[in-house]
Amino acid sequence: MLSDIITPDLFAAALRMATPLALAAIGGTICERSGVVNIALEGIMLIGAFFGTATVLATGSPWLGVLVAVLAGVGISAVHALASVNLRTDQVVSGTAINLLALGLTGFLMELWYGHPGTTQPIPTLQPVFGFGAMGDGFLGEVWRWINGVFLSHTPLVYLAVIIAVGAHWAMYHTRWGLRLRALGEHPRAVDTAGVSVARGRWMAVLMSGALGGLAGANLSIEQVGVFQEGFTNGRGFIALAANIFGRWTPIGSYLASLLFGFADALQIKLQPFRDVIDLPPEFFLMVPYVVTVVVLAGVIGRAVGPAQVGVPYEKG
Amino acid sequence: MSEPREAVPAQRAWMSAVQKVGMPIISTVLAIGVGSLIIWIAGYDPGAAFAALFKGAFGGPRQTGETILRSTPLILAGLAVGYGFRAGLFNIGAEGQLMMGGLLAAWLGVQMAALPPMVTIPTLIVAAALAGAAWAFIPAILKARIGAHEVITTMMFSHIARYVVAWLTAGPIKAPGQIPQTVSLTESAQIPRIQSLFSEGAIEAFPYLNLGRAHLGVLIAIAAAVGIWLVLRYTTLGYENRAVGLSPWAAETAGISVQWTTVKALCISGALAGLAGGVEVMGLHHRIFDQFSSGVGFTGIAVALLAKNHPLGIIAAALLFGALSAGSGTMQLEAGVSQKIILIIQALVIFFVAAEGIVNWFIRKRQKEVASGAE
Repeated sequence: MLSDIITPDLFAAALRMATPLALAAIGGTICERSGVVNIALEGIMLIGAFFGTATVLATGSPWLGVLVAVLAGVGISAVHALASVNLRTDQVVSGTAINLLALGLTGFLMELWYGHPGTTQPIPTLQPVFGFGAMGDGFLGEVWRWINGVFLSHTPLVYLAVIIAVGAHWAMYHTRWGLRLRALGEHPRAVDTAGVSVARGRWMAVLMSGALGGLAGANLSIEQVGVFQEGFTNGRGFIALAANIFGRWTPIGSYLASLLFGFADALQIKLQPFRDVIDLPPEFFLMVPYVVTVVVLAGVIGRAVGPAQVGVPYEKG
Repeated sequence: MSEPREAVPAQRAWMSAVQKVGMPIISTVLAIGVGSLIIWIAGYDPGAAFAALFKGAFGGPRQTGETILRSTPLILAGLAVGYGFRAGLFNIGAEGQLMMGGLLAAWLGVQMAALPPMVTIPTLIVAAALAGAAWAFIPAILKARIGAHEVITTMMFSHIARYVVAWLTAGPIKAPGQIPQTVSLTESAQIPRIQSLFSEGAIEAFPYLNLGRAHLGVLIAIAAAVGIWLVLRYTTLGYENRAVGLSPWAAETAGISVQWTTVKALCISGALAGLAGGVEVMGLHHRIFDQFSSGVGFTGIAVALLAKNHPLGIIAAALLFGALSAGSGTMQLEAGVSQKIILIIQALVIFFVAAEGIVNWFIRKRQKEVASGAE
């Protein structure tokens, strides 16, 4: 049985399922490093997934869908930026409003455009980048089967997420932008005193998290599922936020934490057919990602220390 | 932002009055205005939509009853979120606590079928509250001891609750038949309808007494609102709760245990949400099934924010959202506008209430105009 569970596609699925979480979590990391809490990730992903799908349905082009998903994510997070940076609204409340707005708006537009709630027509999805076949038998053939299965079987955004994680990590610790971003969340007064606009820096960070959240939504709808379903982010935005905390507000940490959640999710799906061996109701498997989130948040990391000024509106002067 | 200190006292009093009562009203009007704009852009007639909405919410005794029916759990869910807010806690998982409250009431009600209503009903109500409190207890402990953010933990517990209910209603406590649900509560465990208070003659004489499905749970909700108001205003518990919400550091310095207060506040919040679930099960559905709550816990967030967490204001805010919910079906049927617009209006209400900056900005601008015009 174990050899039926521990297969290349278990790990491939883990990578695949980590991707939307990782993209959103890295967005959350950038946003929170600038001092703005972003619990709107759930809504941003939903908006991105919806407008991405709608674009693909209208044009037939998955890549155009990805682009629109990113723009839609940026658009909805501009509302969050305006509320939390300029109007100094409570950021958690603003995020909640965006989540609710996303749920209502996507449902409303679905009925308006497609005449029914629920699920859209299937869309053409992004295809795997590589297409290598099997490579003979024996030990080398087996090694190749694993390499090909785990690492070389993916769609573009799965690879892009890895590149973004490494790139964002490098940028955060080795560029002037990264230094300023981190300073924004720790000591905005110092940034202000140095003559750099706090509002501008935070706006940019919130918009970037919107772009990544939109990309995460596109990954769900245009790469993984191939339709849009009402409310199908299903708490992933909050799991992404937990991944950001678990990753201690760093991009690579966020990616690795997402990988853990992705693995938990892949494993629960993989275990479903073994119901006669593991005598548990299916709902118990479905709970796993949420339980893992709580356990990770509570048990493993202890008291996580975020950016000092996260959630605090900056007041100039 | 420094308030203009040179403002004359009368003007300041006017501003504070506006902010207490006027702000929620302005926010609601703005939200309905933007909602109308969306309806109009979508190609429908906002006037007809809102006329149908109003008709569905208050067009007759049955409709009014439906509004009361939908407001009942919203008062309790709004209190749940609002009480947490008063302690600086954002209980975003009221939905899950509500489901656990409903679940225990539905299960225990069937076990107690042979007992008289005088025993059953109070027991179930207490049980539902305890189940909600228990479901909030783990996030509360995690928040107090480890600092795990309650927004994420309570949300995750909502998802877990959803699967617990789905599992139990599909298997261990499922009623015979195809549908995953529990068996119906006997009458001794049901909260009676309001109209059952009146004789048939009285209802014939005053047709407005026939409030349809509205049940006496609304009295429980109102009593809870008044109770929470008294607790916040007159008890040490309420004082500590407010103190921690205003400034945990100051409260700690004054000798209040922030951790213990956090645990108590989140558990009371969960108890109120659990009560909402119990009242829904006992008064309306008489059983529990998968996804029986349809987002009441989330609407509670909007209710609490609109009422600025004031327990009595929550009654009014819940009535508004209850009316929106009751009328939305008629709006979809008669004006063709998707019910989802109600979610959008709820979100807009939250924005406009939360973004006091918008209104403050207007007020400042107006003061500048007044100041420069008065010269």
